[in-house]
Amino acid sequence: MSLTGLYIGHVNSLTLIFDQLKSLGYTVVGYRIIDKALRLDVLKTTEELARDVEDVQDPGKYSLIPGNFYRHGPDSPKKFLYPPKLLLFKVTPKWDVIINSEKYEGKLAFFGIKPCDLASIKVLDRVLTNVDELYTKVRERMAVVVENCTSSGNTCFCATMGTGPRARNSFDIAYTRLGSKLVIEAGSELGLRLINQLEVEPIDDNTYRDFEVTIRKAASRARANFEIDNLPELLELNIESKVYWEVIERCLGCSNCNMVCPTCFCFDVLDIPKIDGSAERVRVWDGCLNYTYAQVAGGHFRPDLWARYRHFVLHKFAYWIKQFGTFGCVGCGRCITWCPTGIDLRETVTKVLRGMAI
Amino acid sequence: MKRAQSKALTPMKTTVIKVINETWNVKTYYSTLPESAEIPKPGQFNMLYIHGVGEVPISVSDISNEDRVIAHTVRFAGSVTYAFSTVRDGDTLGFRGPYGFGWPLDLAVKKDLLLICGGIGLPPLRPVIREVARNRDLYGRLFILYGARTPKDLLYRHEYVDYLSIRDVELHLTVDNPDIDWRGNVGVVTNLIKRIEVDPSNAYAFICGPEIMMKYAIKELLEKGFRTNRIYLSLERRMKCGVGLCGHCQMGPYFVCEHGPVFPLWFISKYFWVDQI
Repeated sequence: MSLTGLYIGHVNSLTLIFDQLKSLGYTVVGYRIIDKALRLDVLKTTEELARDVEDVQDPGKYSLIPGNFYRHGPDSPKKFLYPPKLLLFKVTPKWDVIINSEKYEGKLAFFGIKPCDLASIKVLDRVLTNVDELYTKVRERMAVVVENCTSSGNTCFCATMGTGPRARNSFDIAYTRLGSKLVIEAGSELGLRLINQLEVEPIDDNTYRDFEVTIRKAASRARANFEIDNLPELLELNIESKVYWEVIERCLGCSNCNMVCPTCFCFDVLDIPKIDGSAERVRVWDGCLNYTYAQVAGGHFRPDLWARYRHFVLHKFAYWIKQFGTFGCVGCGRCITWCPTGIDLRETVTKVLRGMAI
Repeated sequence: MKRAQSKALTPMKTTVIKVINETWNVKTYYSTLPESAEIPKPGQFNMLYIHGVGEVPISVSDISNEDRVIAHTVRFAGSVTYAFSTVRDGDTLGFRGPYGFGWPLDLAVKKDLLLICGGIGLPPLRPVIREVARNRDLYGRLFILYGARTPKDLLYRHEYVDYLSIRDVELHLTVDNPDIDWRGNVGVVTNLIKRIEVDPSNAYAFICGPEIMMKYAIKELLEKGFRTNRIYLSLERRMKCGVGLCGHCQMGPYFVCEHGPVFPLWFISKYFWVDQI
């Protein structure tokens, strides 16, 4: 929720916000270019922040071109809130259990993430708060500076999922870049403190109109061909749909979709024997598209790829609501972009709803 | 419902005090629970951990509240359970739990009990048999239908005499492949359901076994007139955490470890029949 209403300033003041966060002791995480992709990383200065690029995202395609607005890459905040690999404990040969007691004292600030990413944190809140110790601790001391999307990518559908292109709540600062103008609002006391340091004034009518039109235009493109209204029920009614069978003809079962998904929370537990006779237990991300996901000794509950893919779709759009009271999908489109064969989740859902084959 | 914490993944230590060879590939491990550990209820399971090898979810197969001794019956089927085959008395195991919901014995009071078990599905129901034997007047008649692949695979064979000494009990055994000495029934366990004379409105059916067997058992029971709230089944799924966090055990929207493993049929009937749900 906005505490201030919209203010207007100059884009240069973003540097000030960044520096302020640093001086307040935050570890600032933002998008930088690594290996020709936007990656979320810890940044020392705003110089490291990706700039003058645009990400071109299509089903199975990702590239960076010169431009002035970008969305995201394969990483999501999940990487920092719910690490891909985490040592849980170590058991010595004499059976002393030593719990990994790494303290999470740092303060984390996300800078310039997009509304879909912010929404994904809100989804993870439902799943992990007071459940996962590390998540809960990091989350308590976390700041978010979110950038509203002025242009949506080809795989985006946040407007359909109701998560973007403008962030409405749960941020400290939300800003929108309109040329050299910066439309900015605070959503928390920290945000107020940060904005007070800037040279800003209440937004004027013309800029507001410009802002509205830009957001509306971005929203109109960030849509899938379905409505979420009664989507969960319809998907469950069509649970035997043959569309899943047809879609997976292209699926490799690589679980890239799970790995890039900002809300997928499944993990595997690895017990690793060490050379000194001790053993470690490590938690690593797992995904429902993996062959072994539902495999047990002497049996397999989802041996076929269509069943695993169907579980992915139904979990995001139906089961998640029953489990956690919210959709598991935020419409960021990462699973579409980073699918090696460009399987389009929006298309799958649309086809299942229409009850027709490809 | 209060959800578990991921630090719940840390095992406690226990010592195996007795190992019993049940069949050529099944053994039962008795261990004493530490003071801090909760005593499992029939139908609940523990996560058992072998140092450096891994963890498996195993239902409790015997419970002694007085001396805090519990048993787990393990069939050697995968990498961790095979490692169990070398576990002896005196060895240390890690364990967590108990987890999940067990059999609804409180509902079954004064009712007839129909236990339908296939293969390694008997161990999770053995504590129910023991409970009925201990508090005989609390429950109605007891029917135990048990099927195994061969006579050699029948578990707890030395105990059947005890089962038969329980008042108002019927024990029906069957095997898929008889050997030359077998004088009993041949065929799947679900064939035995027709023979049972029971009033479905005054009975509960508890089922545990391979999923295909449970599906046929349910069909037989529904035909007999059992309603879906009187049929309970214990489901198997891959479980890595046991507390509804890791996601592997999902069946539709349910986390089998957390919401089950014992479900009333009406809970899950919408999803249970869907292929590879």
